Amino acid sequence: MTRELLALMGIANERLALEWVSSAEAGRFAEIVTSFTEKVKDLGKNPIGVAA
Amino acid sequence: MKIEDAAQLTQSYYCLDCGVCTGSCPVSRVQPSFSPRIIVEKALLGLGDELLKDRDLWACLTCSRCFERCPSSINFPEFMRHIREEATKLGTQPVYSHHGMLQTIMELQTQGINQKKTDWAREAGSIAEKGDTFFFVGCMPYFQVIFRDIGVDSLSVSKNIIRILNGAGIEPVVSDDEHCCGHDMLWNGQVDTFKQLAAHNLEVIRASGAKRVVFNCPEGFYTVKHHYVEHFGDLGFEVVHFYDLVAEILDKASLTLENGAGPLTFHDPCRLGRMAKIYDGPRNILRRLAADDFVEMERNRENAVCCGTSGWANCSTGSKQIQVERLREAKAAGAQVLVTACPKCQIHLNCALNNLDLDLQIKDLISVTAEAITT
Repeated sequence: MTRELLALMGIANERLALEWVSSAEAGRFAEIVTSFTEKVKDLGKNPIGVAA
Repeated sequence: MKIEDAAQLTQSYYCLDCGVCTGSCPVSRVQPSFSPRIIVEKALLGLGDELLKDRDLWACLTCSRCFERCPSSINFPEFMRHIREEATKLGTQPVYSHHGMLQTIMELQTQGINQKKTDWAREAGSIAEKGDTFFFVGCMPYFQVIFRDIGVDSLSVSKNIIRILNGAGIEPVVSDDEHCCGHDMLWNGQVDTFKQLAAHNLEVIRASGAKRVVFNCPEGFYTVKHHYVEHFGDLGFEVVHFYDLVAEILDKASLTLENGAGPLTFHDPCRLGRMAKIYDGPRNILRRLAADDFVEMERNRENAVCCGTSGWANCSTGSKQIQVERLREAKAAGAQVLVTACPKCQIHLNCALNNLDLDLQIKDLISVTAEAITT
């Protein structure tokens, strides 16, 4: 539902990630957050606040 | 606005302490601790500080049933709107339903997003970017996603409007840039957000060159017709309710309506009825459609009861009780279908119906009309 609502608002779905990480998977958590941060940086500025 | 000023503006000092407001209030019936009379009394007795911290301010449905009956004509909903604004300024948190999701969407709309919410309109028929008639769709594309799970197909109403308009040779403007009308923000005390949304919508409508704006949502209709004018002066376009237009279209094309749905009754939405004073338009369509199969519920027109929540605030067990009573009332009147004219009434009453063993359908007036058109 969040993805659909974001799409209506013109916010690209690649800006949202949903992952399950157990409390024992510290390495995986760090990996996911790092790669998602990189991805968002590559995508550039969010359209919010930029459009007229 | 300070409480004293709100009391001045709504002439609350004329209060006779008679209690007709509390006696008429659908919330007080199910939640006796809530009393419009005590709220007015507190304001007049200088107990404003206590009042402004009370989150029960958001229990009021602003349904205007008290105002309708008040012998001193004190506009309690208006008074409530002003004190909510003051309470919000002082940091009292509104009680939002759906975890504030809808308010978040409205706030985001003021941040200059590029919405993509008109794909369904192109599928439904032909729409234009500029033209004389602007169809203000409102929150329906968002409702479609959020309330699909309770079985409410919000966009079917909007699609039917486009089909009926197209059938009459009208190609309406439908815009991705249109924001929420601001109704919920205004009534929840967030006036600045309301003004931002409204100013943007006026810009979008004016840029389309529209001479008239058509609404199916009573809240949007009343907000633009009344509150936009109040805040921004002359609009420069006509504000039309779809029911008036549809009556015109039916007459012009001499279309006949055939009811295949069984006995119908009509639930007056508070913004359409008590606020915009439109009672007969929808009934004329329904009588035309169902003739003797149109039945009235016991509480109708000025006495109609609210659908139980408003402005996406405070959905409580009390709300559910109000809704269940309303649905049973429709059934008791002999109706098979309860027809609503407000997207939110449709959602709220459906939510209650889902948990109820009651053989009743809830339909929107526009969809009922569209289904009944025979050529």
